[in-house]
Amino acid sequence: MADKEKENAPEAAESAIVEPGEVSSWLTEQGFGHEVMEKDHSGVEILKVEPQFLLPFSTALYAYGFNYLRCQSAYDAGPGKELVSVYDLTKLTDDADAPTEVRIKVFLPRENPTVPSVYWIWKAADWQERECYDMFGINYEGHPNLKRLLMPEDWEGWPLRKDYISPDFYELQDAY
Amino acid sequence: MVIGAGKRPGDVNPLVNPGERIMNPAARTGVTQDLSENIILTTVDDLYNWTRLSSLFPLLYGTACCFIEFAALLGSRFDFDRFGLAPRASPRQADLIIVAGTVTMKMAPALVRLYEQMPKPAYVIAMGACTITGGMFSADSPTALRGVDKIIPVDVYIPGCPPRPEAIFDAVIKLRKKIANESMQERGEFVSTHRFYTRSHEMKTVDPILTGKYLASNTREMPPKELMQAMGIPAEKASEAQLEGAKTKGAKVEGDNA
Repeated sequence: MADKEKENAPEAAESAIVEPGEVSSWLTEQGFGHEVMEKDHSGVEILKVEPQFLLPFSTALYAYGFNYLRCQSAYDAGPGKELVSVYDLTKLTDDADAPTEVRIKVFLPRENPTVPSVYWIWKAADWQERECYDMFGINYEGHPNLKRLLMPEDWEGWPLRKDYISPDFYELQDAY
Repeated sequence: MVIGAGKRPGDVNPLVNPGERIMNPAARTGVTQDLSENIILTTVDDLYNWTRLSSLFPLLYGTACCFIEFAALLGSRFDFDRFGLAPRASPRQADLIIVAGTVTMKMAPALVRLYEQMPKPAYVIAMGACTITGGMFSADSPTALRGVDKIIPVDVYIPGCPPRPEAIFDAVIKLRKKIANESMQERGEFVSTHRFYTRSHEMKTVDPILTGKYLASNTREMPPKELMQAMGIPAEKASEAQLEGAKTKGAKVEGDNA
């Protein structure tokens, strides 16, 4: 599904088959460039942003009312392809009924996956960016405490990348 | 009527001629009874093993779902106090560790350390599939230990995912039988032998990441300068912009109030 979305992205930008949603239109009006990706199964807008524009883009979305970073995650688009950092945003208000959601995706080159941290906008990004760093080696610039969260401190490599090879430790070899 | 009943030893029985003796008197056999009630014949080994197997103190150690089953033993339904098992929170006071749950590469040094802190002889029960072979994590996990017996010596394995509390009882009973067969003469080799496998990895030791200054660290006070420049606006301005955004959002409410 991830691959499919990625393949659709440039196509969507060129032919504008995907209708830009409410949030996307507002951002375009304000002059925040982005690509519109196909909506997900529940109709949530997905916006693709270049990593250098992520911070002003996020600040604008925060000002627009997306005060809640519901989830920050990452995935590997495939062997040799980009790493993707994903941000799920929600407009949280009192007595909210089906609050507006939006999803931001940042595609990062595999050789130097560097993206600014959104910790200073949404504090919830703290541990979730640490986990993405731990599992994918994405370098979140400006994160206050970017250290491994789950793996041992001295572990080498990024375990959830598609090209990761487990070390041949005695403890990890099959037990018979 | 019982002959000789109520008579003390030494009393003259009128029904017995002088020089005669009753073969099977109905009175209690004082000497034999007193001996069997007051004297125990045993070996030091048996006595020593009996005291140890009757008061196994397990360490409260659990890393995953297996411990939920183990914790059920603490309650009145399964009640493992009747085996003399009293859970201890310190390895110094424990002589049994039930490894309940998956052990990862990060947890393994802590587990070895706990085991080495227990006074010997110490016993290990490997509970559940994860501690025997890695269980469902043995397929492709980058960190799950494939069997806890690679780092500490295991006495009893309990299969199951997770095992029922009754299975833990079974393991405890088997362990008690094992302890009952031990001999003090073999204790020397038990202590001196290095019974577990260790291998040094060529990983460089790094400083622990938990410094105790998690939220108090300086890096949390303000974004780094590079980041502020990348944002194109100083941090103060950014927070003002956020405030304005919040104001425009709350404008309707304020208008209503006015």
